[in-house]
Amino acid sequence: MTTHELASADPGHAAFYHPALFYGTEDEYLDGVGTFVRDALEREHPVLVAVPGPRLPLLQDVVAGDRDRVRWVDMRQAGRNPGRILSMLQEFADRAGDAPVQASIVGEPIWVGRTPEEAAEATRHEALINLAFTGRPVSILCPYDTALPKDVLAQAHRTHPVVGDSRAYRASSRYADPHEVCSDCDTPLPEPQDALVLPFGERELTFARDEADRCAAAAGMAPARRTDWLLAVSEAISNSVRHGGGRGTLRMWRTGGELVAEIRDQGLLTDPLKGRRRPDPRAASGGRGLWIMHQLCDLVEIRATAQGLVLRLHMALE
Amino acid sequence: MAMVRRVEAPPERKPLEGCHSSVVFSDDRQWTEHLVAFVRGGLENGEQVKYVVDATAPERVMRALTDAGIDAVDAVTRGQLSVTAAPQPHRADAGFDQDAMIGSWHDAAEGARASGYQGLRAIGEMSWGARDSIGADRLLEYELRLHHELFPQLPLQVRCFYDRRLMSDAYVSVLASAHLTHLGEPHSVPALRVAPLTDRPGLLLSGSAGYDTRDAVAAAAAVVSGVAAPQVELDLSALRHLDAASLAVLADAAAVRPGGTPLKVRKAPSPLRRLLQLFPELDSAVEVVDR
Repeated sequence: MTTHELASADPGHAAFYHPALFYGTEDEYLDGVGTFVRDALEREHPVLVAVPGPRLPLLQDVVAGDRDRVRWVDMRQAGRNPGRILSMLQEFADRAGDAPVQASIVGEPIWVGRTPEEAAEATRHEALINLAFTGRPVSILCPYDTALPKDVLAQAHRTHPVVGDSRAYRASSRYADPHEVCSDCDTPLPEPQDALVLPFGERELTFARDEADRCAAAAGMAPARRTDWLLAVSEAISNSVRHGGGRGTLRMWRTGGELVAEIRDQGLLTDPLKGRRRPDPRAASGGRGLWIMHQLCDLVEIRATAQGLVLRLHMALE
Repeated sequence: MAMVRRVEAPPERKPLEGCHSSVVFSDDRQWTEHLVAFVRGGLENGEQVKYVVDATAPERVMRALTDAGIDAVDAVTRGQLSVTAAPQPHRADAGFDQDAMIGSWHDAAEGARASGYQGLRAIGEMSWGARDSIGADRLLEYELRLHHELFPQLPLQVRCFYDRRLMSDAYVSVLASAHLTHLGEPHSVPALRVAPLTDRPGLLLSGSAGYDTRDAVAAAAAVVSGVAAPQVELDLSALRHLDAASLAVLADAAAVRPGGTPLKVRKAPSPLRRLLQLFPELDSAVEVVDR
């Protein structure tokens, strides 16, 4: 086996395989990703390609007549909040079934234009992929544009056991324990300039929900977004009361074209995968609330420390 | 000969307003006014009257009626009036047997009619529920069940007496709000109000449903799963918010309904519709009409 073959969906890889593909040009992108997808199709693997929308037609041309055998997803939409990507990947792999059927996925969670906050949560997502799929017959190729900031590219070496380009792949010497990467992502958050502050316990939940709704209305949030905002904030503050020491603090502020809600409590996020798999809606536990937040928000920033849990929910006004 | 298509008439359902009222008061004068007016009306109308005491001594009830010019002793002697302690099923230590309590009301109303009375009027002091720690959710369920299982069929009027001196504001607001008619002092509006529908089996949910209102949602769910009607509806036109847990509890209740008919939801708020988009597997239990 050549080093290049490591990048293909080799049936010999009955275990989890998670390489990062660094590309500098469109040709390198199409060569590296195209080879991965074509190999997977040749081996009749279920294939999911989730990359930024403008890349989709280029890749569809590469596989030409086999394009209908691939599930194509615009990552700018489906993965706008990096925290919901893993749920999508797990759902796809679950449908593909267990061994010997191997699922092959192209997931490009970070593209040029991602904000530093989004890139940090996408890095957390990349680390969590390694926890979620350990021991499962799934190959996930993650393309990285070399025009991305150096710190983002450096993190890709820590979150992928295998790294390379369209020519060759190798084990990453900088690969790090996923828990360590997640912990490193828990950096201090910048303080907002002008936030509405609402301490709450169970008795104040209704008031807090209504204040969140009023806040969205005052900011001129579109009706559909306002619904998502209210649902997400409601789930977050309920979690604080149920799991975060019985109470918390809700802060809300507007920045640019979005509203941000921060929920701070004494909770501990003992399972970093919580909320990253589609839950049974009838199950009271299992991360239902956090999963809903990830699905509805444009970005969920997580800071899980020994002092407590901080969630920042971002929602565009339009 | 022209064929005439026969149309089944809908089952008759008598107006429920006034059948089951909450009465909130905070002093003896108010208590006496409500007591006397209701009992006097019943006696004059040829109805049997029952006062089920809890915190009040029966002698005091009799004295208040007598002082108001009602010949209470004679009414008791004739069997038209009774002032008695709550039966065992009211008690938490007896298991708070709702079925037994509803059954006893049914028997009492039928008994009044069989004895030649126009119907039965009853006053129940509700302080026992707060004292015996039965739980507001189970009491709310009981109040809601009364609407669906007694009043549509029976000649019965019930006044539930809520004495603020014996119950918390939160208790009073949730339970008094579950009645179609309210008398006496105003009470605060609960975060989530659950009340019966007036014209069909079902409930009106108004306000905001979340973790803090889970008891009220549990009571509503118990009614949804237990109502012996082919169809049960929720009117959510005044509901601002419903969280995922509340929807799941209601969907679970709908799923175990006899016959498996889905819960009809009218005028669903946007959060509920959005949750059904996220969890389409709940669609089989919850049917949103007039989306």
